[in-house]
Amino acid sequence: MKFTRIQIIINFLSLLPATIICFLLIQGTLSANPIQTATVVTGRTAIYLLLISLFCTPLNNILKISVFIRIRKTVGLYAFYYSLVHFLIFSIIDYELNLSWILPEITQKPYLQIGLVALTLLLLLALTSLQTIKKSIGIWWKRIHNLVYIITALIIVHITLASKGDIIEPIILMGLFLFAMSWRIPPLKKISIQNTPKWAHDLNTFLIQ
Amino acid sequence: MKNKIHSSKITPEALYTSRRRFIKSTLKTTAASFLLASCSPKINSGDQAVTPDSNSSEVVEGLVDDQGFPTTSFEDIISYTNYYEFSTSKNQPAKLAEGFIISPWTVRVDGFVNNPREFGIDEIKNLFNQEERVYRMRCVEAWSMVIPWIGFSLKKLLDIVEPTSDAKYVRFETIYDPEQMRGQNNPSYPWPYIEGLRMDEAMHDLTLLSTGIYGKDLTPQNGAPIRLVVPWKYGFKSIKSIVRIDLVSEIPTSLWMAVGPTEYGFYANVNPSVDHPRWSQATERRIGQSSRFNTQLYNGYEKEVAYLYEGMDLKVNF
Repeated sequence: MKFTRIQIIINFLSLLPATIICFLLIQGTLSANPIQTATVVTGRTAIYLLLISLFCTPLNNILKISVFIRIRKTVGLYAFYYSLVHFLIFSIIDYELNLSWILPEITQKPYLQIGLVALTLLLLLALTSLQTIKKSIGIWWKRIHNLVYIITALIIVHITLASKGDIIEPIILMGLFLFAMSWRIPPLKKISIQNTPKWAHDLNTFLIQ
Repeated sequence: MKNKIHSSKITPEALYTSRRRFIKSTLKTTAASFLLASCSPKINSGDQAVTPDSNSSEVVEGLVDDQGFPTTSFEDIISYTNYYEFSTSKNQPAKLAEGFIISPWTVRVDGFVNNPREFGIDEIKNLFNQEERVYRMRCVEAWSMVIPWIGFSLKKLLDIVEPTSDAKYVRFETIYDPEQMRGQNNPSYPWPYIEGLRMDEAMHDLTLLSTGIYGKDLTPQNGAPIRLVVPWKYGFKSIKSIVRIDLVSEIPTSLWMAVGPTEYGFYANVNPSVDHPRWSQATERRIGQSSRFNTQLYNGYEKEVAYLYEGMDLKVNF
């Protein structure tokens, strides 16, 4: 099996945060509070990957860089993997699977409930992205996968509630989300450059190989 | 040429520090307390007296707090800090606070007092006997440390300025200097950092004004040159780099109370049964250890401070 350039780039970039975390963890330099740092870094990686996946469709529509459509699923799946690891670090490593600690946390804290809903929905998307399931559910695939917009919004709320008063990062995330979404509303959706610029065409040809 | 010292004559650092450590441990282990007592005028009963040596390159490990918990490593204490004036990240302040100017430094003490005055930082160090106090520090984010502070009871400073009967609360203020503290440009927070204590809390013997850690001067990221330490309250109450102490009659509004009035109360006493919307207050993790354990009421200082809050509803006065 031969990988295209875009596949190599996307897999490399997506695996980079996990590699850095593991490396620093082994080296013992992942901050004085490595569990907390690993939780934050995996969570942040997940939301940024999810946002990247939302830009794939507009880039194809406007600039005709079709190569991004091919990696949309990969990026989305990586976002799910990081979300899952984020949750597993919280429940297994941080709270040691101790239900008498975890359950009160979840019942008390809306940001955890929102995070859990988002993760459950992401799991649904990940499962239905399997080719066999995708084919068998027909029109429902599209309906289910439109949930990604709600999931992204939920995760941004989750991060906003979990942030200690700092509004800068939530604003950046919300801005990126709205920017990605704006290209999906009817007037902007129609925009597409008649003559694809040469650089976009060349980039597409380069990455697709 | 004649002033040149041959490199072989210079004692390697590792060697002289190990010698110092040897001398220190020998002094400790051979019943030499009378010797120490006779040569150090700073020893007073009850407290471990020390003379902070900011030039010392060593850190004495192996200290424990009143419950027998070992102190957190010096490296962790100076590298993992919440100091939003520099950065909201906990690993960044150590780098960003490098070169923070702490001299000259004055602390203005005024408000409802008979003797309002300014204290220079060196004056403070000379006026008040600097003791070592090993305290647990519990952050509201559910991590904790055990820190050997150098400092003195805030009460001693307040006694000098003589609070009047109108003084009901003490309001503390951190330096405002966005040029040096780039985090103060973050519009999410109403700078400068403000904290407050009720008069009886401020006069409690456990309440410390600290100037050092592990026998060395405070690092900028730990709140140099002078900070508050209130061990039975969440860490954010222990305001850093203080420039003003104001005796007031009304309850002060702290920065965190202004940011999230439903989340951060004035008292902020460590209490495992009063929840915070974000962090578990029931459990905590000690930095340097991997396992989680149950948080103690008043961070384990219940015996010393519970009387301050008798009859108060701690869920209302959080």
